[in-house]
Amino acid sequence: MAAPLAAGAAGQNVTVPPVTAPTRVDQPDVDETTSLDRPWIVLVWNDPINLMSYVTMVLQKVFGYSLEKATALMLDVHHKGRAVVSSGTREKAEIDVFRLHEHGLWATMQQDD
Amino acid sequence: MARRKKPRHVVEPTTGGYVLHLDAEEIDLVVRLLGELRSLLLSDDPAHHDLLRRLFPPAYHLADDAEAEAEYQRLMREDLVASRLEGIAMVETSLRAGAVLDDAAVQGFMQSLNGVRLVLGTLLDVSEQHDPSRVRDDDPMVGEHQLYAFLSYLLEATVFAITEL
Repeated sequence: MAAPLAAGAAGQNVTVPPVTAPTRVDQPDVDETTSLDRPWIVLVWNDPINLMSYVTMVLQKVFGYSLEKATALMLDVHHKGRAVVSSGTREKAEIDVFRLHEHGLWATMQQDD
Repeated sequence: MARRKKPRHVVEPTTGGYVLHLDAEEIDLVVRLLGELRSLLLSDDPAHHDLLRRLFPPAYHLADDAEAEAEYQRLMREDLVASRLEGIAMVETSLRAGAVLDDAAVQGFMQSLNGVRLVLGTLLDVSEQHDPSRVRDDDPMVGEHQLYAFLSYLLEATVFAITEL
């Protein structure tokens, strides 16, 4: 249950393809447009150290959620292994993740699919 | 040591702030642990970085976002360290002045207690089934397990105290 990191082992080397000059494209790049529009989601992952009461309190404090909403999200994290706690632009998601990291929660972000 | 008092009584919300009902020895212990956390945060030793890994989780966890992740760690790690050092300093000031925490210090108190728990939990490789009462007396880490239990108890008591108001 401990490590939600399976997807992207940190420190792994990533090969970046060489940049090539763009070629003319007649049709609009649909993928590009939709990927810019898709919101980012912030996830909190279950972990064996953080206390349930503390996680609930942090979600209330960081997001201003009611006790009921924060408790429901905490229970989702606990039972399902993770929960989406907020969403928005990439910049907003990054701030949310940072504030959760400040409190020691295991939070990550990704673009919604 | 840890279960002697009911959690609600060890941190008491009053109009003048949160009063910690800890004895001098327990206050000293908390102060010492905060100092150790600060030393770890300021350390260049890679072995210490490993102990701190729960304090600096990845933000972008997907392999596709590896570049963004490197950028996040490069830019934000320093801010995360600064935030934790500020929290520790605030708590130390309050404890020196007499174990009463105002709203800002109580936040720093919880952040710091949890920071030490994250380090200890990493050191002890705590799992979901972790039960400090089951740790045998001859376990070489029995002291660390007791410390972890004490900090969990103190953190939970603080969370209860601030949500009671």
